[in-house]
Amino acid sequence: MQAVLFGLLVGGVYALASSGLTLIFGVMRIVNLTHGALLIAGAFLTYTICAATGVDPFATIPVVGAVLFGLGWLIHRLVVQRAEHGGEGTVILSTLALAMILEGVIILIWGHEPHSVATSYARSSFRIGDLVFPAAQVYGSACALVLLAALHTLLNRTWLGRAVRAATANPQGAELVGIRVERINVAAFALGAALTGAAGSILAVLSPFTPDSGDQWIGLGLAIVVLGGMGSLGGALVGALALGVIETLTATYGSPAWATAMPFAVIVLTLLLRPQGIFGVRVREDVVSA
Amino acid sequence: MRIMVIGAGCAVLALMPVLWGDAYYLNMLILIFLLAIMASSWNIMGGYTGYISLGQSAFLGVGAYTTAIAADAWSISPFLAAPLGGLVAGALAAVLGLVTFRARGNAFIMITFAMLYLLGIVALNWTSVTNGNDGMVLPALTWSRDYALWPFYYGLLGLLILTLLMSRAIASSRFGLGLTAIREDEEKAAGIGVHTSAAKLAAFVASSVPIGVAGGVYGYYLGFLDSRAMFSIVTSIMIVLAALLGGTGTLWGPVLGAFLLEPFSQLTNQLFTGPAAGAWRLIVFGGLLLAILLFLPKGIIPGVRQALARGRPAAVGKRLTLTAVPSWLAVGDGARLEARDVRKRFGGLTVLDGLGLTVEPGSITGLIGPNGSGKTTLFNLIDGAMKPDSGTILLDGRRIDGSSRWVRSRSGLGRTHQITRLFPKLSVLRNVVAGSNGSWAAPAITGAQAARGAELLDLVGLADYRDLPAGELSYGQQKLIELIQILMLQPRLVLLDEPAGGINPTQIEQMGALIRELNRTGTTFLIVEHNMPFVLGLCDTVHVLAGGRRIASGTPQEVRSDPLVLDAYLTGASQ
Amino acid sequence: MISMTGVYAGYGGGDVLQGLDLELAHRSVTCIVGPNGAGKSTVLRTISGQLAPRLGQIRFGGHDIAGRHPARLIKAGIVQVPQKNGLFPAMTVEENVLLGGYLRRREKAYLRGRYAQLAERFPLIAERAGDPAGNLSGGQRRTVEFARALMLEPALVLLDEPSLGLDPRSLGLVGDTVNTMRESGITVLIVEQNVRFGLGIADRGVVMESGRVLMADSAKTILDDPEMGALFLGGAP
Repeated sequence: MQAVLFGLLVGGVYALASSGLTLIFGVMRIVNLTHGALLIAGAFLTYTICAATGVDPFATIPVVGAVLFGLGWLIHRLVVQRAEHGGEGTVILSTLALAMILEGVIILIWGHEPHSVATSYARSSFRIGDLVFPAAQVYGSACALVLLAALHTLLNRTWLGRAVRAATANPQGAELVGIRVERINVAAFALGAALTGAAGSILAVLSPFTPDSGDQWIGLGLAIVVLGGMGSLGGALVGALALGVIETLTATYGSPAWATAMPFAVIVLTLLLRPQGIFGVRVREDVVSA
Repeated sequence: MRIMVIGAGCAVLALMPVLWGDAYYLNMLILIFLLAIMASSWNIMGGYTGYISLGQSAFLGVGAYTTAIAADAWSISPFLAAPLGGLVAGALAAVLGLVTFRARGNAFIMITFAMLYLLGIVALNWTSVTNGNDGMVLPALTWSRDYALWPFYYGLLGLLILTLLMSRAIASSRFGLGLTAIREDEEKAAGIGVHTSAAKLAAFVASSVPIGVAGGVYGYYLGFLDSRAMFSIVTSIMIVLAALLGGTGTLWGPVLGAFLLEPFSQLTNQLFTGPAAGAWRLIVFGGLLLAILLFLPKGIIPGVRQALARGRPAAVGKRLTLTAVPSWLAVGDGARLEARDVRKRFGGLTVLDGLGLTVEPGSITGLIGPNGSGKTTLFNLIDGAMKPDSGTILLDGRRIDGSSRWVRSRSGLGRTHQITRLFPKLSVLRNVVAGSNGSWAAPAITGAQAARGAELLDLVGLADYRDLPAGELSYGQQKLIELIQILMLQPRLVLLDEPAGGINPTQIEQMGALIRELNRTGTTFLIVEHNMPFVLGLCDTVHVLAGGRRIASGTPQEVRSDPLVLDAYLTGASQ
Repeated sequence: MISMTGVYAGYGGGDVLQGLDLELAHRSVTCIVGPNGAGKSTVLRTISGQLAPRLGQIRFGGHDIAGRHPARLIKAGIVQVPQKNGLFPAMTVEENVLLGGYLRRREKAYLRGRYAQLAERFPLIAERAGDPAGNLSGGQRRTVEFARALMLEPALVLLDEPSLGLDPRSLGLVGDTVNTMRESGITVLIVEQNVRFGLGIADRGVVMESGRVLMADSAKTILDDPEMGALFLGGAP
């Protein structure tokens, strides 16, 4: 019981960490391997701002989000848009190349050592009956819910969200109602990067991080989106929770070392056995053929 | 000339340790050979077939661990155990390759990427077998220290030569031609008889085995296996980089890439020292990868070739003068096609609504009807691009609606597309012979096939374009190439989707003459066409579709004077 | 209203439109007919900005609009209903219709009012507001596309084969909608395979062949022209 609870809380943190990827990969269908590096960049930015000014890490989110928004904008404009001419493979490889460059830059600025952002509240825990709720994970999960709810609202209740979904589903149809598809895609990608940065700020509080922590997060993020089914925010949340529980149970009843293998095992098995994910539905053929 | 250069290169490399035994350079060459083996193997899947793997270094680790474990268990030399490493790597590739049956592009990249990390973690944690974090120590060298590097040097050089021979054999075989066809247009490849699933699986296995063997040798060379180094994404990136740099899809590109990249890598090792060295290497190699992807996407060898070809004058086509149809095209009797009560819906739209029609053997049958009446959909159901919701389709009395595309194509069914689909980067001749029969091991173009291809090119007056990439031909010429591409299969029933669409009146006339001539030798034709004078002048029988049903059939005269038909045309699909 | 003079346009391979001249009167319904490949749909794509003409002029509201971005043309009052696949299948009917007002997205009150009007005009919109558009039948999708096109009260509506794949009852709905558009002062340009239907709901008819206008007259004159059969079926009927 405690293990499942832990798993759900860990899953909540995973949902938080992968929210940006849910937008960029899940909705826009761009396999963005810079995700891990962007996340860690967000964490380091928070570290620096907190160290310099002493503000609460949560207060850095607007700044970090804005910086990452700009970075995402540049990445899409300068790299993704050009790489798209070469096809899916070129896009993935170029985001991988960017991830390497970004990780290198992070090491140059902050070094190899693990960093963490200390807060008074992150190390405490709540108790309800026999169950222990570590505060850090509870806060992380709460943030995840807020962010995903915000993303859900954004996609379903705002014009930007509608335009993003329309431009992804049917670019030509989108042009016919006046949506400038390229601009919308840049904006959505940048927004995904900003979300990732914000998640990085929160992760900085939850656990120590190093420049190469990004690798672990990119695997997790891909596993969550693949498992949850493309384009489904609810699916991504359930995927994240499921992964958290799988990992925690593996760590509790197997060994912690094997828990790290789970995201990758999930990706391999899902793609082999059910490529549309658990909640994904195969897209229906939707054409009028002459 | 070319053979001499290659021979001289091999001789220099073979004599290297004897004449100039400097350990620094021998070590560097060993690493170059290793990278060249891996990049050349990757190229079979990534270059020829167009499926990019980001986890190819996993096979290196699998080979190394298998070899180390086997050598330890049976107390044999790791050199003897290395082939086993290749086998295990191949078996793993066969399982992972199953993903290519269901998805392409992103899914393949992700599954190889995930596999690499997964196996790395397995190697780290399966302590009882791999010794986990402590790593595995391989047996001490049993030969003189003076020649310590020689067995590794020659072993990997030999393996590189074998890998290149395999790569060349594949590239020049029917199997390899099938792979490039898959890369250019997978569905079309299946449509002209390439067994795509089996070919992809075989390609992935072929691209893993040499790396597995190399892993065994490399592990012994290192003397110590560390799971993090053996299953490293960095190695995979180097593999992709080497192949991209030299030129994917070429025989020598990956080798050239390895010979440039490995020394460059050593150079950066010396250039960058201290704590920030790793960071700078990440930036440099990430930057290099990005630069190649965006600014040199074809790689060095194809880039140079293209630059050289620019000066060459383009071929000039002859006027199409219809020569006699080659006798081998005579099929005796054409096939009979029957569709019974075929239904197909897309979402809320019924496109075929209980359609039934017969195409008599040896006939030229026309299929006309307003836009949206279901003509192209019927073609897609006949050739297997789509499956009907219900109903049966029979070819010579046998049901084909359940068989896969390449089976239908092999049983005598050929089809052209409304928007012509060729393999744009392959030469015209390769396009023409791509679908013809032959075992995988047969040469890509046998003498007989080349001769037949040449005859067909003569037939349509395009012999001078033989070696040009098909994508450079005009639209009308591409239409003719797509038609003769199908004729190579000696089909007994040919489906033509708007053969006269988008080509000029002279070409239309010639297309008609060609069809008539081919029909005289037995081939059955079913033609969808909007050009009424063309179709009514050509066909024996015409079926008219409207609203997903057959509303009339008969001779062109009958159909033309049928008030129902005129009505259907003037009122569109809605009867 | 809108006039095209000497327009040449095509898709790389060559010009589909070969010096096309066309003039639409204000508040008229015009139907272009002609055999496949005559360039009918290309005319619409050129007007709506999806395809920039290589040569020639398109004048609308006193400006030459040739080659302008579709978004600017929609703002100027030109909307197109495409032949097929115009909707966003995973989004609801309401979202699809509202997206027609994308360019005035900040004017909430306007959009709400306009949507209510359209929901009243097309009861289907109100009934199925929450359903994904992908679950609708062909005729219902057409209705949603029409409603979406009317969100911004356009001056000129381009209909690309509105009858494609529709059953006779839905055809009646299309006819009604076009009538309503005419009554509310909208100029309509239809491209139609279904000659009888298209000319039946139009005031003016234009016959195209090989990228040019062959004949332009009242819809009725063209409909009754005995040459029409020959044009479509080749040779004398």
